[in-house]
Amino acid sequence: MTVKFKSIFLAAILLISAFAAAACAKGGETLSIMGKKSDLDKSYMRSIIEQYESSKNVKIKVIAVEDSEFETEAAKRYEEGKDIPDILMHFHNSDLGRFDVEKDFYSLNGEAWTDELTDSATSYCTDENGNLLGLPFWESSVSGCYYNKTILDGLGLKPAANQAEFDVLCQALKDVGCTPICWPGDNCAWMVQFGLDPIFADHPENLEKINSGEASYSDFPEIKNMVEWIKSAAEKGWFGEDYLSCGWDEISDDMGSGDAVMTFIWDTWFYTDFKPGQKYTVDDFALMPVFLNTVDGGTYEGGNLNMMMVSRDGKNFEGALDFLSFCADPENYNVAFDGISTVSCFKNQTTNIQSKMVTEAADSLAEKERVSTAASRIIGYSGDDMVSALGEMFRGKTDVDGCVRMMDEMREKEIAAGYAE
Amino acid sequence: MGKRKRSIAGVFTVILACAVIISAGIIGAVYFRYISKSIYEDSTVQLGEVYGQVNRAFGTFVERNWGLLESWNEYFEIANKEKTEKFLSDEKAYWGYSQFYFINAGTCRTLDGSEFSFDIASDWSLDKPVLYGLSLSDGTEMTCFASPAGPREYDGFEYNAIAITYSSDDMANSLNVDAFSGKAKCFIIRNDGRVLLSTQSGGSVFGNYLTYLTAASDLTEEETAAIRADWENGRSGVMRCRVGDEKSCILYQPVGYQDYLLLSVVPENVMSAGFVSVQKTTTNVLILIFVLISATVLALTVLRYRKQSKKTRTELMYRERMFDVLSNSVDDIFIMLDADKFSVEYVSPNIKRLLGIPASEARKNIRTLEKCAVDGDITIPREELLSIPLNENRYWEREYMHQSTGERRWYRMTVYHLSLQGTEKYISVMSDRTLEQQMNQKLTEALNAARSANEAKSNFLSNMSHDIRTPMNAIVGFSVLLEKDADKPEKVREYTRKISASSHHLLSLINDVLDMSKIESGKTSLSVDVFSLPQVLEELKIIMNPQAKAKSQEFRTLVQGNPPENLLGDRLRLNQILLNLLSNAVKYTPEGGKIDFTVSDISDNGAQYAKLRFTVKDNGIGMSPEYLKTIFLPFSREINSVTNKVQGTGLGMAITKNLVDLMGGIINVESEPGKGSVFTVELTFARAEKTEETHWADGKITKMLVADDEEDICISVKELMEEAGVKADYSTDGETAVKMAVSAHDKGEGYSVILLDWKMPGLNGVETAKQIRQKIGDDVPILVLTSYDWSDIEDEARSAGINAFMPKPFFTSTFFSTLKPLYGEKPEGPEDEKSADPGVMSGLRFLVAEDNDLNAEILTEMLKLEGAECDLAVNGKEAVKMFTNSKPGYYDMILMDVQMPVMNGYEATKAIRDSGHPLALKVPIAAMTANTFAEDVQNALESGMDGHIAKPIDMNAVRETVARLINKKR
Repeated sequence: MTVKFKSIFLAAILLISAFAAAACAKGGETLSIMGKKSDLDKSYMRSIIEQYESSKNVKIKVIAVEDSEFETEAAKRYEEGKDIPDILMHFHNSDLGRFDVEKDFYSLNGEAWTDELTDSATSYCTDENGNLLGLPFWESSVSGCYYNKTILDGLGLKPAANQAEFDVLCQALKDVGCTPICWPGDNCAWMVQFGLDPIFADHPENLEKINSGEASYSDFPEIKNMVEWIKSAAEKGWFGEDYLSCGWDEISDDMGSGDAVMTFIWDTWFYTDFKPGQKYTVDDFALMPVFLNTVDGGTYEGGNLNMMMVSRDGKNFEGALDFLSFCADPENYNVAFDGISTVSCFKNQTTNIQSKMVTEAADSLAEKERVSTAASRIIGYSGDDMVSALGEMFRGKTDVDGCVRMMDEMREKEIAAGYAE
Repeated sequence: MGKRKRSIAGVFTVILACAVIISAGIIGAVYFRYISKSIYEDSTVQLGEVYGQVNRAFGTFVERNWGLLESWNEYFEIANKEKTEKFLSDEKAYWGYSQFYFINAGTCRTLDGSEFSFDIASDWSLDKPVLYGLSLSDGTEMTCFASPAGPREYDGFEYNAIAITYSSDDMANSLNVDAFSGKAKCFIIRNDGRVLLSTQSGGSVFGNYLTYLTAASDLTEEETAAIRADWENGRSGVMRCRVGDEKSCILYQPVGYQDYLLLSVVPENVMSAGFVSVQKTTTNVLILIFVLISATVLALTVLRYRKQSKKTRTELMYRERMFDVLSNSVDDIFIMLDADKFSVEYVSPNIKRLLGIPASEARKNIRTLEKCAVDGDITIPREELLSIPLNENRYWEREYMHQSTGERRWYRMTVYHLSLQGTEKYISVMSDRTLEQQMNQKLTEALNAARSANEAKSNFLSNMSHDIRTPMNAIVGFSVLLEKDADKPEKVREYTRKISASSHHLLSLINDVLDMSKIESGKTSLSVDVFSLPQVLEELKIIMNPQAKAKSQEFRTLVQGNPPENLLGDRLRLNQILLNLLSNAVKYTPEGGKIDFTVSDISDNGAQYAKLRFTVKDNGIGMSPEYLKTIFLPFSREINSVTNKVQGTGLGMAITKNLVDLMGGIINVESEPGKGSVFTVELTFARAEKTEETHWADGKITKMLVADDEEDICISVKELMEEAGVKADYSTDGETAVKMAVSAHDKGEGYSVILLDWKMPGLNGVETAKQIRQKIGDDVPILVLTSYDWSDIEDEARSAGINAFMPKPFFTSTFFSTLKPLYGEKPEGPEDEKSADPGVMSGLRFLVAEDNDLNAEILTEMLKLEGAECDLAVNGKEAVKMFTNSKPGYYDMILMDVQMPVMNGYEATKAIRDSGHPLALKVPIAAMTANTFAEDVQNALESGMDGHIAKPIDMNAVRETVARLINKKR
């Protein structure tokens, strides 16, 4: 073989390789998306991926990691810079602290589809620097105080608009023999976080202080107010007599039978856990804010949303942005969320099932809904620890101050044990 | 009967007390009910008045606002837009309302042009002034005052009514009253119950108060219907009911506008606060009165009870004290237990005296008695107590030890199971039974002793029979043979020697038996006199040396310390004791054995009495441990192959022990079979005065030399002599002694006497004496001190220049008596008596008083053999007669039997001494009697006799006594 022939052969090989690479980039190129196995298995996720693959003739590589190994595996990849996926699915919570968010992920503020998001969804996905971290593509709910409006109407009572009214309402309900609030004493981890949201969502500096160790729960008088109110409510009988033995499973019965009139829960609970065929149905309930004495007007907690975040160092960066634009298209997300019970993340989301309770409270929600902050963003936060501390107080083993101190101690232990990481 | 009366009185008291309490309760309840009603009525009136004023104030406020709207309407008719805006702005600032509205058929408009829907209640119209509630989109509750206006136009908006709003909270505040502690709630409601205003913070949650009240109160349907009717008809009213958990008073009054009513809800406890105060005060006063009365009654009751109790307690105390005194004076301990709890209720105080346990301790825990029980067992077993039927008793006898003194006493514990006033008790009486127990024990011991004694006597008789018959058999047998072989002088001598030996054995046997008999009967007494210890030792040595020598035994007499030479005591008994021990040692030590007789002075320094220890140590056959236990018992002899060959009565050691006891001493024995025995006797004697010192002061002996290889002996001699005023030097070997003697002699300070030990290493005593004699001549006396029999070396020693021998141990008296002949003085001592001239009685005439013909004949013949003559008297009286009738000097001596008919020897002697015969007081009289005990000797001497000769007659003893008495009288 002559030198000239060899040169021609090599040039031909290079030419073929260049064509192949171009073909991959434009049409059958691979896009990788990494997330928890259970998250990626959601029907709307499968739907949107199928739509995209068939529409764009692109193969999406789904990297589904076992739930328990997800955080470690994802952090490791970004830290080492190896096998970084183009898109990472992650909640906006304290676990994001394992990543260098600014360095690892692309800020999506400039994307065309950002106006398509609801305010609540935008707020959830935006960090403290105003960067939109990802596209929310998830089923969501609204947590608040769901009350039996049929009973209230029957008693000539109205929902409360502030803490004082809520207290009067509770006592009025107690006076007529109802249990005002269904409070599962040993299993109310989610309830406490509703009360804490205003402290940290309305004041990001508080979040920074508590996460930096500059402050603890005891340093926030609102937390003591909340614990005092809970203690007082329990003592006044607003939680009923058997609240300490009440658990998750009893909420449905108590609310459905009308024994309890109000509870702090989320709207989708009525479609997933509220037992049908009871005296009262979902149509008997309405939504008002949660009042836990931390903010006078009460609060709602928005849902936790799984975001699709675009890796700066992903192999197919442009493909990733394209996929997100595809997801934010009403034609596509309405197909994906068809028949899914969820609060809308997109303004033009029409095929999902949104509860009447939420829509009726739209004005109040617009004013008082807050991003889930306490549970997801306070390092070392544990709803179970909160419940344990309250339980000690309920059983008379400690007072309000002791209860708050106990919450701090348990949080410190959580951090020391590394759970916070 | 009395009990029944008390019972009835008690029941009556209880009933009376109950009646009083019930009556007081009823009166109190009625009283409080009345007061409560009065105060409630007053409070209701006051409530009506208070809220009447509120109602009027609210009405004024409403009227004012409607009046304003009406006046404004007139103004708007003439004012343009700018003026209207300026006017309303000023009015708002002045009156403080929230907002002004132009209203037209369901729509309203603010001054800034905002429009929104305006729904008024369907049953109202705006053709007249209305008051109603308005909820803003942010949830704020407003109170709206509307009034017809126009119709006219404002900024293009046609309106037919105008309105102003106030914050419902501000409005509600105007209804608040300070009365009723601020706890009263006030509502402006419509006649169907819908709430327009609520003074309660958070009260906006009440949409329809009548609906709520129906559900939350205990109003009946009729009462609810009545309220509803009142409200619909614009009537006022007051109602009491429970709302929730609280009793409340509900008052309603029509406002006078539209269908509004003023409703107030006041907790009854607030309303009746005054009543509660009165009630509390009244209650406190009543309680105080009740307490005072009760306290008085109680105090009186207590005083009476205490008085009664004190009386009862005093009686009980007296009784208890009396019982304590009683029990203290007896030796019975009383204990009372509760039969159910087994707790101690009483313990007599004498338990401290009798058992050493404080009564308080025993009361706390009866088991403290257990530590007194000698057997440590449970004193009162519970099971035993339980087994005692009611009204019966049981007893146990136990030995208890006094906890303080350790004294043991026997108690009989008798436990009675009794019922006292329905309560069962155990009463225990512990009675001292020690005397009974001791008596029983003594009886048992006495019985055992009697049995033992009987047995011992049986054994004794058996032994005596054997021991007496044996020598008797020899005497009788040889007497027969003597008769038969009378013509054969050799045979006759042999037989008579054997008869004599058997007779002596029989005699010693009889002496021992009699001695023992006398000791046991307690008739033995001591004859205390001054005696010389060296003399005793010398005598023992003289007696024992031949015996030991006969068995080739080494017999040594050793002295330790400086025992005093002259003592006060019974020399004969001491001799008897030591001879017994030494004789046994010789008897039970085989040939060639060794016997050491040691005398030790163990007196305390300066003691008035000398305590001496006599030790007899042999390496003989020894004794078994079993025999050692009975060695001092009468008639005990160890039975073995050796002892069987040794004659003995088995009484020697018993006599010895008894004599030692009699002398206040102790005797011990240690022995091991095959290794020998050690007998130790410790006796205490009074010291007698020394007499020898003056002899040394004569100046013949001023300085002496002692040589002995045992330095202790040298030192002892030196001390003794220096104590007597004689300077003494010593050396522990012969060579040095020679040098010292020569040196002293050369200096002209020669020794007065030299004392040499015989057996010394190097130069022995004889050789040393020889060298001294060679170097310094024969002037100085040289004596040899030895423990051995010196007869074998006497000739050699004397030729070597030794002047005399002296036995060990060294006594100054012996030393003195040994030296006396060397200085030309006649020596004294028993040797003179013992070496009595065999012909001492030759030519003497004796008066013999003897009632027994045989004895008289024997004595007569024996005296004849001695070359003496005698006259015989058959009784004392005859002897007296014969002596008094005799010429002075006719009789040289009288031998007087003691036991004689007509007149005994003592009486006869006294009669002779008192006879007035010229030689009545001088003639020697010696008792010749079978009464051989010390007291017999003493009695003889006391009766006036001069000596004592024991029967059977030993002619040596007769010769010695005669020689001594004749010489003495001379």
